[in-house]
Amino acid sequence: MSWELIRDILIATVPLLVIFPSLFAFTTWVERKALARIQNRIGPNKTGVPCTRISLFGLGQPAADGIKMLFKEDIVPRGADRLFHLLAPIVALIPAMLVLCFLPLEFPWAKYIQVPVQAFLLDGAVIFFFAITGINTLAVFMAGWASRNKYSLLGGMRAIAQMVSYEIPLVLSAVIVVMLVGSLNAADIASAQEGYQWFVFTPWGLAAFVIFFIAALAETNRSPFDLPEAESELIAGYFTEYSGFKFALFFLGEYIAMFAISGLAVTLFLGAGEGPGVATVPALSAVWFLAKIFALISLMIWLRGTLPRLRVDQLMAFAWKFLLPLSILNILLAGLAWHLRGQGTVAQAATWAASLLILYFTARVLDGLSRPQARPRQYKYAE
Amino acid sequence: MSLLGGGIFKGMAVTLRNFVGSYFKKERLVTNDYAWQPEGDSELPQRASEYPKEQGEQLSDTTTVTNYSRNFPMLLHDGTEGSNPMDTIRCVACQICERECPPQCIYIEKMYDENGKYIKSPAKFDIDVSVCMSCQICVEVCPFDAIVMNSQFELSTPDRFDGLLLRRDDLLKSNNYYHQIHPEEAAARDQKIADEKAAKEAKKKAAAEAAKKKAAEKSKAEAEVKAKEAEGSAATESDGKQEAAE
Repeated sequence: MSWELIRDILIATVPLLVIFPSLFAFTTWVERKALARIQNRIGPNKTGVPCTRISLFGLGQPAADGIKMLFKEDIVPRGADRLFHLLAPIVALIPAMLVLCFLPLEFPWAKYIQVPVQAFLLDGAVIFFFAITGINTLAVFMAGWASRNKYSLLGGMRAIAQMVSYEIPLVLSAVIVVMLVGSLNAADIASAQEGYQWFVFTPWGLAAFVIFFIAALAETNRSPFDLPEAESELIAGYFTEYSGFKFALFFLGEYIAMFAISGLAVTLFLGAGEGPGVATVPALSAVWFLAKIFALISLMIWLRGTLPRLRVDQLMAFAWKFLLPLSILNILLAGLAWHLRGQGTVAQAATWAASLLILYFTARVLDGLSRPQARPRQYKYAE
Repeated sequence: MSLLGGGIFKGMAVTLRNFVGSYFKKERLVTNDYAWQPEGDSELPQRASEYPKEQGEQLSDTTTVTNYSRNFPMLLHDGTEGSNPMDTIRCVACQICERECPPQCIYIEKMYDENGKYIKSPAKFDIDVSVCMSCQICVEVCPFDAIVMNSQFELSTPDRFDGLLLRRDDLLKSNNYYHQIHPEEAAARDQKIADEKAAKEAKKKAAAEAAKKKAAEKSKAEAEVKAKEAEGSAATESDGKQEAAE
């Protein structure tokens, strides 16, 4: 291996390993502050610069939490499978970190790379992304199984059912973009959207983006689909028996997975790094990319503060009876629209209006059909 | 026809309003910032009242709780301040709430007099607030409106076993107190009780009237029968007279 290759790999990967974990620390602070404000509380506001009275709106909280996690005792339950108990958080974190390489983040220092090592230039980047994030399911079940705890196992089993179900609408909505671009290469997908031709601005792209975002929430175990870790039912689900730094790794892995899947959403639907001023200052591309990721993360936090958790049957019905048929219909529509392209503005407008109407009314019908019927609550002893 | 997913947007508007509002309206905040800072070896304040407050600010206490706050159940009695609450307690120890309670945090023992006869009130009524999940199912199922939700939240105690087990006498609160903390709900409940009582009395009255009517009819019928019998006997008598005359 030549020195140039090693240097270029370091240039390509080290910034990712610095930027995203620090973004994670900042996001935990934002999440705690935002949730607190949504509930009319104040949130962390005391921790700031150590040994001073400077509180900086509690920005020192993530660092304090991290140090606390490092010093905590690492407890492994008696009867747990020690090897898999140790492996699970690592298996959860590594794929999440790995897929960050497939995001078309064009950092300014990328021009010093002489050997092409950026993974996002890989021809099958989108496929690789889904293949590698699929490993996360394994980590979750590993944690649930190895803990030798009923809550953990239940959480792990819920996670498998949920992730397997939502993987399908996730991939099917990404298929639309791959169809329209004709390439699985992340850089090609980004360049196909240049000139503000973002896929989210088309009816099928919008529908696919919404489906993708909902499925991404479920894939990353975010509220309202946080059943695998449902605090009020399963304590913490699959990581009930994790403490100290292993827990921190799980936590980190979860947030990195959120960044990664938001990054993929930005690449597929929101024009990757495109934004005002990129043409003159190319370095802004990475800033815009990160800003879009952060906007999606904020939306996730906002939804977490708004929506209650779904029931297991609602979750399954939503994936199989609503999202799946809708995403298949969406693929059909996108294919039809692609064949009818270039027939003039009127034809295009008609296709768009028809697609929007068809999508909306199908969604309405599916909504009516897929909703599990609630029965009135019945008491056993009273009357 | 409502918009698909419109409920989510409505909910998000609510949370956004709270998010923004909490920065501009201080009265929105349910928790208040305190000015206390660690200084050398100074000990933590022990009670809410000992926390130094910022100028013009008040630490939250029961008076700042909204009408909509529900925390743990309490038992109602109809007495006034100073009277023995056990005289007017509404609970009859029917144990419906005990059986319906999902986390089974209620424990009831019935009260018996010296002859072993059940008198309708609880000898023991314990709620373990460390187990209670504030679901209000006990409130929903109670046929006597005897158990309702309290908004008392300052229940911290150094003893996590006995201190968190609320006894019957801790739970007993007057209807007036209920009116103070949840005026609308208490008024509605009182109205409901009054309606039920009125309906019951009307029914009783109707039943009594019906019974009276029935009794009257019965006596009337009896009188008629008697009159007929008398007539009959008179007729036979007259017949006899006629026969005799013939």
